[in-house]
Amino acid sequence: MKKDNKTKSSPDMRFIIQKFSVPLMFIIICAICIPLSGLSANMLINEIVTRMGRNAFLILSLLIPIMAGMGLNFGMTLGAMAAEIALIFVADWQIVGIPGMVLAAIVSVPISVLLGIFCGKILNEAKGREMITSYIMSFFVNGIYQLVVLYLMGSIIPIKHGAIKLPRGYGIRNTVSLLSMRQKLDNLLAINIGGVKIPVLTFIIIALLCLFIVWFSKTKLGQDMRAVGQDMDVARDAGINVERTRIISIVMSTVLAGFGMIIYLQNMGNIATYSAHSQIGMFCIAALLVGGASVDRATIGNVFLGVILFHTMFIVAPKAGAAITGDSMIGEYFRVFVSYAVITVALIMYETNKRRAKKTAGQQLAEAQKAEEAGAAAGTTQADNAGKEKA
Amino acid sequence: MKDKRRLLFRIAAIVIILAVAAVMFVIGRGHTIYFDNKETSYNGQTVEPFHKVVVTVGDQKPSKLAKGDRGMGEVMGQKLTMTVEITDEEGGTPHAHKVSMNIPYSMDGITINIPALMAGLPQEAYLSEFVIEVPDEGATDEEIVTDEFDMGGDM
Amino acid sequence: MTSEKIKAALKNFGLPRLIIAGFLLLLLIMAPFVGADLPTQISNIINRFSWNGILVLAMVPMVHSGCGLNFGLPLGIISGLLGATLSIEFGFTGPLSFLAAILIATPFALILGALYGWLLNKIKGGEMMIATYVGFSSVSFMCMMWLILPYHSPNMVWGLSGKGLRTTISLEGYYIGALANFLQINIGSISIPTGTLLFFALLAFGIWAFLHTKTGTAMTAVGSNPEFAKAAGINVDNIRMLSVIMSTWLAAIGILVYEQGFGFIQLYMAPFYMALPAVSAILIGGASVNKATIMNVIVGTILFQGIVTMTPTVMNNMIHMDMSEVIRIIASMGMILFALTRKTEASK
Repeated sequence: MKKDNKTKSSPDMRFIIQKFSVPLMFIIICAICIPLSGLSANMLINEIVTRMGRNAFLILSLLIPIMAGMGLNFGMTLGAMAAEIALIFVADWQIVGIPGMVLAAIVSVPISVLLGIFCGKILNEAKGREMITSYIMSFFVNGIYQLVVLYLMGSIIPIKHGAIKLPRGYGIRNTVSLLSMRQKLDNLLAINIGGVKIPVLTFIIIALLCLFIVWFSKTKLGQDMRAVGQDMDVARDAGINVERTRIISIVMSTVLAGFGMIIYLQNMGNIATYSAHSQIGMFCIAALLVGGASVDRATIGNVFLGVILFHTMFIVAPKAGAAITGDSMIGEYFRVFVSYAVITVALIMYETNKRRAKKTAGQQLAEAQKAEEAGAAAGTTQADNAGKEKA
Repeated sequence: MKDKRRLLFRIAAIVIILAVAAVMFVIGRGHTIYFDNKETSYNGQTVEPFHKVVVTVGDQKPSKLAKGDRGMGEVMGQKLTMTVEITDEEGGTPHAHKVSMNIPYSMDGITINIPALMAGLPQEAYLSEFVIEVPDEGATDEEIVTDEFDMGGDM
Repeated sequence: MTSEKIKAALKNFGLPRLIIAGFLLLLLIMAPFVGADLPTQISNIINRFSWNGILVLAMVPMVHSGCGLNFGLPLGIISGLLGATLSIEFGFTGPLSFLAAILIATPFALILGALYGWLLNKIKGGEMMIATYVGFSSVSFMCMMWLILPYHSPNMVWGLSGKGLRTTISLEGYYIGALANFLQINIGSISIPTGTLLFFALLAFGIWAFLHTKTGTAMTAVGSNPEFAKAAGINVDNIRMLSVIMSTWLAAIGILVYEQGFGFIQLYMAPFYMALPAVSAILIGGASVNKATIMNVIVGTILFQGIVTMTPTVMNNMIHMDMSEVIRIIASMGMILFALTRKTEASK
């Protein structure tokens, strides 16, 4: 019994340290870089608030596939591309301001849903390799996006305005201006506290999404997703349509990512037609992981902590790097490196934990069998308890 | 029965969304309005420009137009409401007029001749479509950067 | 009966592969009609094959040992780049600098490969995703290093500041064409880089021979059935690590061969996505996530490079739209997606 207690407490400590190691590391990086960057507190807070409004919705879209056990959805890029196509149309139709955003959101939904179903179906064929598959998926769909935007728009799909179209008559320009939509959402109801502009409406929308996610996780479908995420076979035995549930989770994520991208782009005020989406998945995933999430567990709290820490690093790193080495490129490379390193470390931790869990589960099974052989029913409950703790 | 109700709900939801989209099309249509304070003639009648005109659309920056000037404003939807403040001669006291009109949906850019408008001429006299000239970047196409090796820059 | 057989064979062959092969065939048929110069095209394909062959070959050992497709190829490429830049920094010139680059790159490749292999042994089952991110992390880490490391050779550093390596470094006077010019055959507009092809053949034969040694068969056993291999007394982890080291070393050599053909060293973000063409090439050649042969490498590289070189000219002449880039992305990524969705019998 004594020995049992000991082994129980030490993994707990380890768990806590592991769980908070990444945020802690980031707090340290930020603490070092902020004074070096020479940015004023006011400017820094302003930037972080802006970026929170810009990115939080996008990052929140990652939570649902994690709930369904499909890992980090690198395929959120698909939603971003759907949103970009919708915005290009809306810009061409000259629908401006918030009505333009609403229309873009509506137009993006069918595109996102189609792409989401396609992605979900492919991921169902690649169980256990969801992440790499969704990652390649984002490249594949990027190819299709380029085909549509660079060759079909203007030639087959009608695009009227020369300000959007390339002079050659088909294809979309490198940047599409969203000036008529720029920060319309952020500025409506915005308040100014001590020089910090707070985009209240954007935050309200983000809060609504948070509420939706909390509510959704309690619905039947949300519970099913959790069950599928825990163990597909058990879920299937319980009568859950595993494939369908997984597809729904990807579709929801894609649609939400599309909405998130519209919010993101209205803040930016223009679309970088061929590059705006290319790294969005990577940065959002990195931010989520910096907030203390892991591949199989992420909360709303992780999203907000992640946005604050990751973007503080993102803002100060180039300036701090320039202050130390006299070369601003170092800081820029540094933040890219950190983004990738965080994802790498999180993936490694997830895989090693999974292996360890498998190993202990195997041992427990063996122990339970032994106990059963000895005829003691207590053995099974012990193993059960241990299993619950793991979960 | 349950399936039928579900289907009904779905159809209703889609109809509502489509209706919202249609409404957005109408209320969200953006137009760029160009105000001219220029001489114009209609049916042989010539209208002289004002000495100075200040046009204000909504809460946008007022455009102050001397003789022969052109100003610009943005409007969302098909109803244009503006305040026109006219100074007839040097040192004269300005008098303000509130003008509102419906503008055609199909036009992106619209030119409004203020003197003709204030003279009470019919719409075809003061309103004309403004065709935006795309800044010509020469015959050379802009190079498309598909960002394969780029790092994506800032977020 | 036979139709079912054909169906099964077709399914095995895979729709994407069929489309890609058919597409290339179409390009070849169309080429003379649209006025593309076929000999030049073929010469291009052979040349590009010689540049890329070894990078594709670098996939083979890891696939064999069950580590999956080596998305971590950039790690090996970085070893090669270190070898290349250090060889120039140390003052080697001419073809000798190529040899020096290989010799210098080798220890880096072995050490990085060993670390990488150790890591992949810790995370069995999740190799491909982690390999991808190990590649990315190492490339972005080296981006900082290329700026910081004390290189001085005036041919490599930025002229103005005198420090930090340039993004592209010309190999003129160094090992440009070091292999390609060896026994080069020129017939009309066709030029065949015999030396490079021989070098590729040498390495390919080496790998083929290795896979038939005792260790090589053990590697195949580990890949096809790790439990069985373990039971047979094979040290699975060691074999896997060996395969990763081999892949990394081949990637290092591969990038050097690529550079001697291409004529430039590309640093910073250039190696970032280099794994993807190599991965799709071997898959187009008929490999799967856990099965690859030398033949797959050769066929795949020819098909892939065929599409890369043929599409721009043929498409441009045909419809006056250069859609080659988009077609390349869709074809290669579609191929990888297809391979990832195939169920693999054993592994994991």
